[in-house]
Amino acid sequence: MKSLRIKNLKKKFKNTIAVNGINIEIDEGKIIGIIGRSGAGKSTLLRMINRLVDPTEGSIEFDDIKVSSIKGRALRKWRSECAMIFQQFNLVERLDVLTNVLIGSLGRNYNLLNLFGIFSKEEKINALKNLDRFDLSGIALQKAGTLSGGQQQRVAIARALMQKPRILLADEPISSLDPKNAKRVMDDMLKINREDGITIICNLHSLEVAKKYCDRLIGLSDGKVVFDGNPEELTTEISKELYDLDNE
Amino acid sequence: MTDKDIMNLHPQVFYPLWKRSPLFILTLISIFTYLIFSINYFNFSLNDLLNGFSKMKPILISMVTWNDFFTWNFNSILIGILQTLSMAFLGTIAASIVSIPLGLLASRQVVKISLPRFIIRRFLDFIRGVDILIWALIFVRAFGLGPLSGVLAIFVADTGTLSKLYSEAADNSDNKPIEGLVSSGATKISTLRFGLIPQVMPIFISQSLYFFESNSRSAVILGIVGAGGIGLQLSERMKAQYWDQAFFIILLILIMVAVIDRVSRALREKLINE
Amino acid sequence: MSESLIKNHNERLKGLIRKRRFWNIFLSIGILLGLIFSSKIIDINASRLLSGLPRLGDYVAQILPSLETNSLFLDSKTEGSISYWYFNLPKYLHLLFETFNMALVATIIGSSIALFLSFFAAKNTAPNSLIYFITRRTLEFFRGVPEIIFAILFVWALGIGPIAGIIAMMLHTTGSLGKLFSEVHENSDVRPREALKASGGNWFSEMKFGLLPQVLPNLISYILLRFEINIRASTILGFVGAGGIGQELYLVINFNYYEEVSAIIFLIILTVISIDILSGYLRKNIIEAE
Repeated sequence: MKSLRIKNLKKKFKNTIAVNGINIEIDEGKIIGIIGRSGAGKSTLLRMINRLVDPTEGSIEFDDIKVSSIKGRALRKWRSECAMIFQQFNLVERLDVLTNVLIGSLGRNYNLLNLFGIFSKEEKINALKNLDRFDLSGIALQKAGTLSGGQQQRVAIARALMQKPRILLADEPISSLDPKNAKRVMDDMLKINREDGITIICNLHSLEVAKKYCDRLIGLSDGKVVFDGNPEELTTEISKELYDLDNE
Repeated sequence: MTDKDIMNLHPQVFYPLWKRSPLFILTLISIFTYLIFSINYFNFSLNDLLNGFSKMKPILISMVTWNDFFTWNFNSILIGILQTLSMAFLGTIAASIVSIPLGLLASRQVVKISLPRFIIRRFLDFIRGVDILIWALIFVRAFGLGPLSGVLAIFVADTGTLSKLYSEAADNSDNKPIEGLVSSGATKISTLRFGLIPQVMPIFISQSLYFFESNSRSAVILGIVGAGGIGLQLSERMKAQYWDQAFFIILLILIMVAVIDRVSRALREKLINE
Repeated sequence: MSESLIKNHNERLKGLIRKRRFWNIFLSIGILLGLIFSSKIIDINASRLLSGLPRLGDYVAQILPSLETNSLFLDSKTEGSISYWYFNLPKYLHLLFETFNMALVATIIGSSIALFLSFFAAKNTAPNSLIYFITRRTLEFFRGVPEIIFAILFVWALGIGPIAGIIAMMLHTTGSLGKLFSEVHENSDVRPREALKASGGNWFSEMKFGLLPQVLPNLISYILLRFEINIRASTILGFVGAGGIGQELYLVINFNYYEEVSAIIFLIILTVISIDILSGYLRKNIIEAE
């Protein structure tokens, strides 16, 4: 059985339909790239999986969790299993790197002391280990705001790992990075996919990167799936259509 | 890497809390100690407080039960409000007029020598150090009870603050037009008139408007020391324990202040955009 | 082509000047009408002003101390010395200390309550719009009513003394800081909070880690500013019996203890200015530490 099942998913905002009936099923342990123009509904799709955005219609299920309808504690538990990283990294810039990583554990293992900035020794060791995996333990005590974009995104990945997630959603993770840093971030994601078996669903603007790293590509256009298959199957015609290249 | 190695990377992370953020702990402790000290200092007792609050219950109830509403003296209330607004208006206008020369004299752009500037600034600090209510009390002594003392109190207190704000606006003005005029051989006066004033006038006006807004608030309380206006009506009713009427006046004051806020904000935005 | 451009430009310039002129005239007429109207209401006239001025001069002359240069530093028994003027200094200092403590306690408690309520009064942090609406209106009420009005009420209920003043200032502080804080929250960056939310953090951790680190310097700066305002306020709350040095000032003014009036006023000014300078220095450091 496929672990993540999305059925007839729709999202309407005031005047626009961002996602218009998406059906996909996703295997565990793969890297799935979601491609398409900006405004194609990629970001809304990911946000609905994490439930930052509530779907208007349709359902999302993961194993036996009814993701699209859970509330409260169950929703927070789901969110902690379904980590997310963002185009703008979304770190707390005034806090140090270590605390930013520790924050990732709050959804999974929360206690009142955390609110005073106190974390257990185990979580701290855990956080440092996660940073160390990406060669970031040296800057653990720097303010997050002082880091380069690439470093910030990798800290965000370390934070995501603190959640001990089963899925990682990456919303345009390399769009604000230069090619060198983009490669490092993608390599790091590949690493956690291969070593930890975490499923990754990744919105990507760059086809080249998507083809190189992803096991499966899903092309969206106007909120609908227009392509679903292996990277090799993606022909030039389809990609032209996806990105509306003729009109540019 | 073992846990030990990881911990050795940043040993300070694992220090006890008081060692990691002594400042935070110290602040917490001192605030806590201070609060305990002040409970002692003010002879605070929860019992007295609760007793007092239970005494307030009938007041609160009578505040919202307006039995003889139609017999209230609305005329005096209306006059009180008009007086308060007039006090605020006259006080602000007078203070604005006096603040233009004072503010310019206290500005770096106008007076290059620092001594007179220093003296004016300290004088303004002095005026600002005295609360408007104290000024009102003094003027009531000299001019007698009534709104005239209120106008003067607003005038003096605002001169202190407005002049300072005006001088800061002049300090922050653009130097280029002024230099242009100086280089073309203009006199000092015409440099000010055509180089500086056009730049700062909109700021001055918008600040005065803002002060009119805040004065309509402070003019309210001047009546408490006898300087007329709605505050007088309010404090008389509170003294006589007509809580229903007092609360009605408080609501009127809130509405009045909100309306003035709206109008003045709209005007200020218009002014800045023009 | 260029002619029409110039013409166009001239037209626009004329329009602008016309608009400006309109505004100037509008403002002038408004001010003139306001002046006429309000002078009528207050019954202000030159003769009243002129007859009051000498009395003001007399009064100021009376309250100023008669210091004499050759006995300036003599003991408090000699007229003309500073210590004669300030013979009551220990009492003043005691009252000033009380004033200071009233302001500080009211600021600490008031800003704590304000911080708590501000989360419910900001659009982007309130749990729902009903709570938002209620909290907002409550804060506006406490902000809108001057503290001295509250002080009158609490003096009536709790008796004469500083507690009434502290509670009055506390309520006003809660109202105005609560509103300011909620505006700071509304202007904060939502992205860090979004990350917290997306990782399953609850509302409390979202506020503590996603919001507070961003807004804290601003909040502290506002608290210091409020402390300055409260110091001023606590010097006058005594007029209605709510403690502090104002009570003494009210007394000496009403009983015409002339020289003591200036003695107290100078002390108040000194206190207010030193607190302003200190707090201004702290605020500047907080902003620069960013």
